[in-house]
Amino acid sequence: MTQDSPQGAPLLQVENLGVRFAIKRGGLFGEKRYLYAVDDVSFSLKRGETLAIVGESGSGKTTTALAIARLVDAYTGRVRVAEQDVLGIEGEDLRQIRRKVQFIFQDPYSSLNPRQRAEDIVREPLQSLTETSSEDQQKIIDRLFASVGLRPEQKRLFPHQFSGGQRQRIGIARALATQPELIICDEPVSALDVAVQAQILNLLRDLQAEFGLTYLFISHDLGVVQHMCDSIAVMYMGRVVEYTDRRSLFNDPKHPYTTALLSAVPSIDKKRRAEMKRISIHGDPPDPLAPQKGCHFANRCPMATDTCQQSQPALTDKGNGHMVACHLVT
Amino acid sequence: MSDPLLKVQNLRIELTTRDDVVPVIDDLSFELAAQESISFVGESGCGKSMTALAIMGLLPEKIGRVASGSIIFDGEDLTQASEDRLREIRGNDISMIFQEPMTSLNPVYTVGEQIAEVLRAHQGLGQQAAWTMAEELLDAVRIPNAKRRVSDYPFQMSGGQRQRVMIAMALACKPKILIADEPTTALDVTVQAQIFDLLNDLRRQTGTSIIMITHDMGAVAEMSERMIVMYAGRGAEIGGVDEIIEKPLHPYTQGLIACVPHILATVSAERERLLEVPGIVPSLREFGKDQCLFASRCPVRTDICLQKRPPIETDPSGHSVACWHGKDAS
Repeated sequence: MTQDSPQGAPLLQVENLGVRFAIKRGGLFGEKRYLYAVDDVSFSLKRGETLAIVGESGSGKTTTALAIARLVDAYTGRVRVAEQDVLGIEGEDLRQIRRKVQFIFQDPYSSLNPRQRAEDIVREPLQSLTETSSEDQQKIIDRLFASVGLRPEQKRLFPHQFSGGQRQRIGIARALATQPELIICDEPVSALDVAVQAQILNLLRDLQAEFGLTYLFISHDLGVVQHMCDSIAVMYMGRVVEYTDRRSLFNDPKHPYTTALLSAVPSIDKKRRAEMKRISIHGDPPDPLAPQKGCHFANRCPMATDTCQQSQPALTDKGNGHMVACHLVT
Repeated sequence: MSDPLLKVQNLRIELTTRDDVVPVIDDLSFELAAQESISFVGESGCGKSMTALAIMGLLPEKIGRVASGSIIFDGEDLTQASEDRLREIRGNDISMIFQEPMTSLNPVYTVGEQIAEVLRAHQGLGQQAAWTMAEELLDAVRIPNAKRRVSDYPFQMSGGQRQRVMIAMALACKPKILIADEPTTALDVTVQAQIFDLLNDLRRQTGTSIIMITHDMGAVAEMSERMIVMYAGRGAEIGGVDEIIEKPLHPYTQGLIACVPHILATVSAERERLLEVPGIVPSLREFGKDQCLFASRCPVRTDICLQKRPPIETDPSGHSVACWHGKDAS
């Protein structure tokens, strides 16, 4: 699955991406310390597909996405979108990339400017990132409103006059405005009521089918991920611990963390509840400022051995492109 | 079954809004047996939390009041009880844990002090005895190294640990009923699983009844024997959890179950489209109308739904539903 498709290179290629944050500590002459929020992350995503990144809060999902969109700086690694390097470019090149990579944010309440009308919110990326004439802009806006299921007369309204689901539709229209190649959805439904989630998830899938969109989908809800994605990367403490296609991950999870994560999801499926023994992992992730030498998961892993405490496992192919970072999986 | 521990009969709670007085809870009846766990399910704004606040005697002052009906707890009508008596009951007999463990603890006191305060106020324990008891409680909710952690401040703890402190505080006086208002929505799934296990164990050991408020059907299935589906302040469907999940009678319940992508035991290639519940919960102005309030979003609506409020019909097994077409579903 990491092999390139016959049509050429994947749309998004991330290689050994790393993001670190400097921490002030120890006063003026104290040594500079770093928190490694994203550490050696690699994956690729084909055009028209969805890659989900899952993991607990603080695992580096959002930081990875922000680095790809150039909203935080990566200190190492390589990101290519449509065969064009993303890291290290500036000026007009960066503007072009911003047009190609758009973001749908988690909270539709705080990610829309309360003083702009809905249509102006959708127009803004067109104005700042493209050279579209104002007539064409209006045409694009009209089309987008119809595509995301908003009525034409709602164009003149302000964000507070919409419900949460409708606001997320505005956010989606804004993300689509510049005809981006890649759309990053950061927890797009977790702030919405359950019944409204389905509306937005269906809309995202419809739009994908209609426009051939490519999604990088971040979520902590494994049910949603199972429904939306084609492949999945599971992150723990800034590193990818398992990366494979949808069916292999859910039907045959290999990393102990993935297994524990899946077993923790409450289910209405009686059969699943009976079959699945909950593998509880105790405690919390270790302090990210004091990383251990070995596998980051070792202190919570039910199967950890001495090797796990000593050396960090690399993400390796365990057959058919099923990538796992664990010493114990063969 | 002898007399239930808690019996709510024809409860009606009115809120005074700017233009009107609206019934946010309208003719709700249910029972809770000792040691039983019951869940309230529904979207936000359907009156789940309001019911809990009414039981606790914590309705917003001057705005909300119990208009009619009764809440009989252990033979005593809480709607008639004095403020002093309610204060005695809260914490001693009925206690509550909230959704946000970050904001419901006082940041300037140690967690031990906050637990000890409950014990001193309600059980009349002395300084030293209360502190020792706080240690024991922290240990009981499985906070590692409780003896040391008892003098920690809330900011020194993770989200899961703070929620454990909340649970320890709520259980300090061995209440007969524990109300858990979305206890795990702010937490990661692995932590959520730990909290659920903890609550289930405590229920087994102490015999506390649990009222859980949630929107996650999976959580309901793991935690409760019975559920109450609320819609717009009214009970839409009440019955056994397994029974309702297998054969929901109310179209709203059907929608709530089908609109969420539930995690499946085995994943196949095809993905069905999620069922959408169109629209949103009606505004408060609609509450109290003599019609089915779900009608505007309902796929099986007929004329009668708009003309008259559906009566609650109960079958011999105790499964009741308020829908003109509830029988057609079975």
